[in-house]
Amino acid sequence: MRFKASIQNIHTFTKLTTSLNSLGPLAWVKLSDQQVCFTIIPEQGTQVWAVLQIDTIFDTYTVQSAAGNVINLEVPLTSLTRALKSALNATSAQIRLTKKDNVPLLALTIVTTTSSNHAAFPTGTRNDEDGMENFDNTFGSGNRETIVTQEIPVRVLAPDTVAGLHEPQTREPDVHIMLPPLMQLKSVSDRFTKLALVGAKNGSTATRTRLEMAANMHGCLKMSIKTDAMSISSVWTDLTNPDLDPSHVSGGDIGLAEHPSTRMKQLGSADGRSEEGWATVRIDGRDWGKVMSVGRLGGRVIACFCHEHALILYVFLPSDTAGEESVLTYYVSSYSA
Amino acid sequence: MDDDQGQPPILTAVSSSARQLYLLLRCIAFSEKAHVQITAKGLKFSVDDASAMEVHLGTSLFTTYTYHAPPPTARSTHSDSDDDNNEDPDLPPTFQISLPSLLETLLILGLTDPNTNKPPWARDNATSTAFSNNVLGINNMCRISYESAGSPLSIILTESSIRTTCSLTTYEPDYCDEIPFDREQLRFKTIMRGNWLGDAINELASTTPESLTLVARMTSGKPYFALSASGPLGSARVEFNNTPQPSRPTPAPTNPTDPADQPANLLETFQLSSPITLRSTYKFSLIQKAARAMSVATKVSIRLDNQGVLSMQFMIEVEAGELSFVDFRFVPLVEGEGEYEDETMLGEEGEEEGGMEL
Repeated sequence: MRFKASIQNIHTFTKLTTSLNSLGPLAWVKLSDQQVCFTIIPEQGTQVWAVLQIDTIFDTYTVQSAAGNVINLEVPLTSLTRALKSALNATSAQIRLTKKDNVPLLALTIVTTTSSNHAAFPTGTRNDEDGMENFDNTFGSGNRETIVTQEIPVRVLAPDTVAGLHEPQTREPDVHIMLPPLMQLKSVSDRFTKLALVGAKNGSTATRTRLEMAANMHGCLKMSIKTDAMSISSVWTDLTNPDLDPSHVSGGDIGLAEHPSTRMKQLGSADGRSEEGWATVRIDGRDWGKVMSVGRLGGRVIACFCHEHALILYVFLPSDTAGEESVLTYYVSSYSA
Repeated sequence: MDDDQGQPPILTAVSSSARQLYLLLRCIAFSEKAHVQITAKGLKFSVDDASAMEVHLGTSLFTTYTYHAPPPTARSTHSDSDDDNNEDPDLPPTFQISLPSLLETLLILGLTDPNTNKPPWARDNATSTAFSNNVLGINNMCRISYESAGSPLSIILTESSIRTTCSLTTYEPDYCDEIPFDREQLRFKTIMRGNWLGDAINELASTTPESLTLVARMTSGKPYFALSASGPLGSARVEFNNTPQPSRPTPAPTNPTDPADQPANLLETFQLSSPITLRSTYKFSLIQKAARAMSVATKVSIRLDNQGVLSMQFMIEVEAGELSFVDFRFVPLVEGEGEYEDETMLGEEGEEEGGMEL
């Protein structure tokens, strides 16, 4: 069993593990020849199934195992994130699977180059100012290479341990819509959650911060919350409802014609004032805030609403190369009314 | 009960800046609930917390302001949930709302602004900077409406592609003892800059005093006004001397549009109804609540009535030329102030009338 890779995009990797970590402490990481999968299945709350193209984060990647070159690991995300953060200024970083005292671990080797006349953390501007010195130092003996190795103890999961883990199955969504920038959505939802807590202070403290999210097939997204003192809702209009590809819908063109979203298109209006045509889910505001933290990665987000059942978010990571995209899938289940 | 056909809504008001409303209302954010009174002249928000605090949102703050007095008949039919609602039908509509909820709501507007003008690849940037639109409060609209008695106070915030609708539950007004302030029977009145008063209060606060005493008198024809604070750690006093000192630089004028002929006097107006030194004591922590209003006010008018009730009226210029008023009223502390008690109990009124001629 061998795994070795150099990390080509430390910032993306760090942002990814940070936002995954907000949903759960442990990730099931599946390394294979084609892709890297991160899966978080918390006791409660939102599940994430992320499928990353290897070149999204890694470079010179090798994985070998007796089980068809697939390695399954259970990785503590907090330790991984902490290790990655220390590598943010690195000139290069490598990660490999190894063993120490019979404990499997991921060793992250971070190489940082500092020139001797600089402090340990050179800032960008300082480098610019005395660029000449740096130039000199490259040829002199002033450069110092620091190598730090961070070790993250992991568990190797047997193939039959993970065989029972499946991505949740949901019915065809009623509404699919492109979300506004997640950071924008998060700032409003965070304020809503705060409002709910303001209202709960004088009433029952057990009040949950339950957000209601709804969308229609006319480019509208609605987020609302009710408390004793108030009810408030924000409506986004002019969003995009992406067209479904008939080749991806079971039954092809006929299936598309009978798709729930085609039916939903008949209802509601583009100004979001109509009561009809909304697919609604009820979610926990704090959990939603954690999901929204993936917004730091940027990228397009398509939300699929299964009315009163579930909300599925597809977060497509921006990638330089064309072809297969890296996608994070969030499964948020709806509370009953 | 709120879809009353053919009845115009009691209030429809549109403001181009929720930020202004927020800044004013924040001055009285000391209570869970605030009373709201709607009149043709504007909205009055008041909070009672041992002292009375009021914010007047005049019609000039709104780009449009339409008020229809509720017909008395409509009001009586609407009060089905509360049969004892035997208010005078002439009284303007009054209700309570959750003040923290209102403040939080007003902040929603502009939250999302900075992102809308950015290219999509910049979406993961920091959501705000010191000069971004959400701080400056531009480019948004706020519409406040109140349909009829018993209906919620509705606030609609609109910006580029987001519309937020908020319905604040309205509660029956509480019966509350208004702190009476008799503006016909003034013992003392002075006007000064809000931040000068604020600086003085801040200075005194460092000794964590319990009480604040106002002292005012005329000394050899010159007005003298002092704030003296005392507490377990000692006492301190800030004096405002109105000695004409033309060379005195005006410290950091809050309002550059002030008339240039403004005298360098600390106290713009100084009226004292009696030659006896005026002394009146208040709880310091209550006065301190006005600190936020002091810091934003252009001017403050400090008045004392016959009963020793202190009124501080803050004139706040939210935008050039648009004035708003925030009022605070405080009841005096009476323990151990023999001299003071005598003054209020005895024939002060006689002297008062003479004093009014000043």
